[in-house]
Amino acid sequence: MATTPIPLEARDIKKRFGSHEVLKGLSLEAHKGDVITLIGASGSGKSTFLRCMNLLEQPDEGELIVHNEPIHFRATKHGREPADWKQVERLRAKLSMVFQNFNLWSHMTLLENVIEAPVHVLKKPRKQAIDEARALLDRVGLLERADYYPTQMSGGQQQRGAIARALAMDPEVMLFDEPTSALDPELVGDVLKVMRGLADEGRTMILVTHEIAFARDVSSQVIYLHQGVIEESGTPAEVLDNPRSERLRQFLAPKH
Amino acid sequence: MIDLQGYGPRLLEGAMVTLELALLSLVLAVILGLLTASAKLSRNRAIHAIGTLYTTLIRGVPDLVLMMLLFYGGQIGINMLTDQLYDAFDVDIFINVDAFVAGVITIGLIFGAYMGETFRGAFQSVEEGQMEAARAYGMSPWLAFRRVRFPLMMRHALPGIGNNWMVLLKTTALVSIIGLTDMVRVAAEATKATHEPFLFMLPVAGIYLIIASLSEWGFAKLSKRYSTGFGEASEWTN
Amino acid sequence: MDQLNAWFTQLLAGNAIFTANTLGFYWNGLVTTVQLVFLCLLLGILLAIPLAIGRGSKRWWIKWPIYAYTYVFRGTPLLIQLYLVYYGVVFFNGIQDTIFWEVFKDAFYPALIAFTLNTAAYTTEIFRGAIKNTAKGEIEAARAYGMSKGLMMRRIILPSAFRRALPAYGNEVIFMLHASAVASVVTIMDLTGAAYYVYARFYAPFPAFIFVALIYLCLTFSIMFVFRRLEKRLLAHLRPRGA
Repeated sequence: MATTPIPLEARDIKKRFGSHEVLKGLSLEAHKGDVITLIGASGSGKSTFLRCMNLLEQPDEGELIVHNEPIHFRATKHGREPADWKQVERLRAKLSMVFQNFNLWSHMTLLENVIEAPVHVLKKPRKQAIDEARALLDRVGLLERADYYPTQMSGGQQQRGAIARALAMDPEVMLFDEPTSALDPELVGDVLKVMRGLADEGRTMILVTHEIAFARDVSSQVIYLHQGVIEESGTPAEVLDNPRSERLRQFLAPKH
Repeated sequence: MIDLQGYGPRLLEGAMVTLELALLSLVLAVILGLLTASAKLSRNRAIHAIGTLYTTLIRGVPDLVLMMLLFYGGQIGINMLTDQLYDAFDVDIFINVDAFVAGVITIGLIFGAYMGETFRGAFQSVEEGQMEAARAYGMSPWLAFRRVRFPLMMRHALPGIGNNWMVLLKTTALVSIIGLTDMVRVAAEATKATHEPFLFMLPVAGIYLIIASLSEWGFAKLSKRYSTGFGEASEWTN
Repeated sequence: MDQLNAWFTQLLAGNAIFTANTLGFYWNGLVTTVQLVFLCLLLGILLAIPLAIGRGSKRWWIKWPIYAYTYVFRGTPLLIQLYLVYYGVVFFNGIQDTIFWEVFKDAFYPALIAFTLNTAAYTTEIFRGAIKNTAKGEIEAARAYGMSKGLMMRRIILPSAFRRALPAYGNEVIFMLHASAVASVVTIMDLTGAAYYVYARFYAPFPAFIFVALIYLCLTFSIMFVFRRLEKRLLAHLRPRGA
C-alpha cells in the first residue's frame, strides 16, 4: 500500500575508524511518531550510529533513506562519500540534531540562534521566523532569555534553547546525542520535561541516552548496542524489563 | 653566482652591523625590561607611575620618530650640556653622538618597554608558594631569585621575548634612515647607484629571513629546556 | 574668518617654529598619514579574508604559497618591502613613458602597495588563528542544520572569528600607524616627513619631533578607544550578563 513516507531508514550501516570496525551493520527504521532510544556502554557505537544518520560521520557501507529519498554515495580514494552535498544539506535540514554540548553559536543571542537556520537554510521570511522562534522559546520556558548569549545561560537553559533551535526547523526526525550528559544533575529534569512533551505530541525522535528511566517512559523502541552490533531491540518492556542477555542485565543493574 | 657589482663585502659588513646592533639592543632591552617590570610591580606610587608613563609613551609613538628624536635631539642636548660644563667649570669636552650608539640606545629603550610587559606577566606567573619554599630552606633573596624565580618565570617569558626579538630585529632596519651603515643602508645606496633594486634588496631580505628562522629554531629549543618538569601538562597549566 | 586668523597669528606670535605655515605642514602630514594607513588597512582586510580562508585549505598548492607569502612579509622589515616596491617601480625600464607613470611617480601609490601587502600578511595570520579557534561543536551544529560550506563560512565561522580577532587586529592597526612613519623615507610628506622638514629647516629637533610624537600619541589613543568600544559591543557574548 502507498503509505505515508518513512521519515528515516538506515540499512546495514558499517563504519570503520582505521582498522577498528565500530559499526558492524546496523539497521533502524523510524516511522512517524516513533521514539527510538539507543543505549549501550561507552564505545558501543551508539553516538557514532546517530552521527552517521545525518552524515556528520560518513558510513563506509550501508544505505540511508530520508523521507523515502535515498542518499547517493560515490567511491573516492579516501573511501565512500556523498555524491551530492547539496542533497545532504537539503536532507540534513529535515533532521535536527541536539548535541551533548549544546553547540549553540556563541556569537549569536538565543533568538538569533533559533532563527539562523530557518532564515538562511529554509529561506523563511525573517519576521515569520522570529514569531515562530518566540513561540518556541516560550514553550521551553526561555522567552525572557531571548536576548541572552549562550555563555550567559546555564547548561540546562542552553540545552532547552538548543531544543528550540532544533524545533524551529520543523524537522521530520529529531536526533538527540546524549542531551543530558553534560548537565549538572539538578538541571537534567527541565530538559527531560521538554523532551517528554515532544514525545507526547508525536514527534519522531531518535535519542542516545544514559537515562534508562526516561527511556522506559517515552520510548516506542529501545535498541541495545554492544561493540557495534544490535544485541537486543524491542519495546521498553521487552528490552529493559526482560533483558535476555547477561550483558544487558549487567548494564541495567543499578551501579553503586 | 649573483654579481653584486662589488657591493658584496660591504653588504656583509652591513649584516654584521645589523646583528651587533640587534644583539646589543636586546641586552639593553632585557635589562630595561626587568627594571620596568619591577617598577610596575612596585608599591611605591611614584616608581609605578614612572614605569607606566615610560611604557605608555614608548608604545604610543612610532619607533622612527623616537629614533630621530634621540639621534638628532641627542646631539643638541649633549652639546648644550658640554657648553654649560665649559661655562661653569672650564671643562672642554666634545662628544659626538655616534649613530650606532644612538641606534642601540633607541632600540633598547623602545623594546625595554615591550620587554617590561612581558616580564611583568612572567613575574606574576610564579606562584608565591615556590618562593616561600625557597625562603623556608634558607635561600637569600638573590639566590632564591636566581635559582627559583628566574627559571620559573623564563618559561612564561620566553614566547614573549622571542616575539619581541623578532620585531626588534626588523626594527634595526630603521637605523639606516638616520645614517648608520647597516645592510639595508648598503643595499639602498647600491640600488640608487645601479638602479637594480632586486639585486640588492632581495639578498638582504633573505638574510633577515635566515636570522629570523634560526632564532625561531633557537627559541623553540630554549623553551623546551625551560619547560622541563611541566611536560605535557604545560598545555593546561596556562 | 579674519578674526580667527588674527587670533591664530597672535597665539603663534611667541615662537618662531610653530607658525601657521609649519602647522599647515603638520596638518597635511596628518591627512597623508591617515589616508595611507586607512587605505592600506582597508585593502589589507579585503586581501586577508580570502587568504586566511585559503590558508586553511586542504590543498597544498593553495595553502603553501599563502604561508610563504605571510612568512616572507612578516619576517622582513617593512622598510625593505617599501624600497623594493618603490625602487622596483621607479627604476622599471621605460615606465616613465607609459601612462602608469602618472600614477606611480607619486610615491604614495608604491607606499600604499607595500603597506597593503605588509598588513595583509599580518592580518591573514590573525584571521587564520581566529578561524582555527572556532569551536568544533559550533561548526558541527551548522553542518547538522544543513548549511552549505559557503553559508557556514559567512554566517558562523567568519562572524565569530572576526570578533575573536578584534583585540589582535587593534594592535595591528596601531602597529601599522607607527610603521607608516617609514613612508617619509621615500619622499612622502606624512606626519614624520613633516616633522623632519620642520627639524631640518629650523634645526630644532625637540619641538619638531616632540610635537609629532604627541600627535601620534593622540592617534594611538583614539584607535585604542575605538577598539575598546568595539570590543565592548561585539564581545558582549563572552562576558557574563550585566558585567
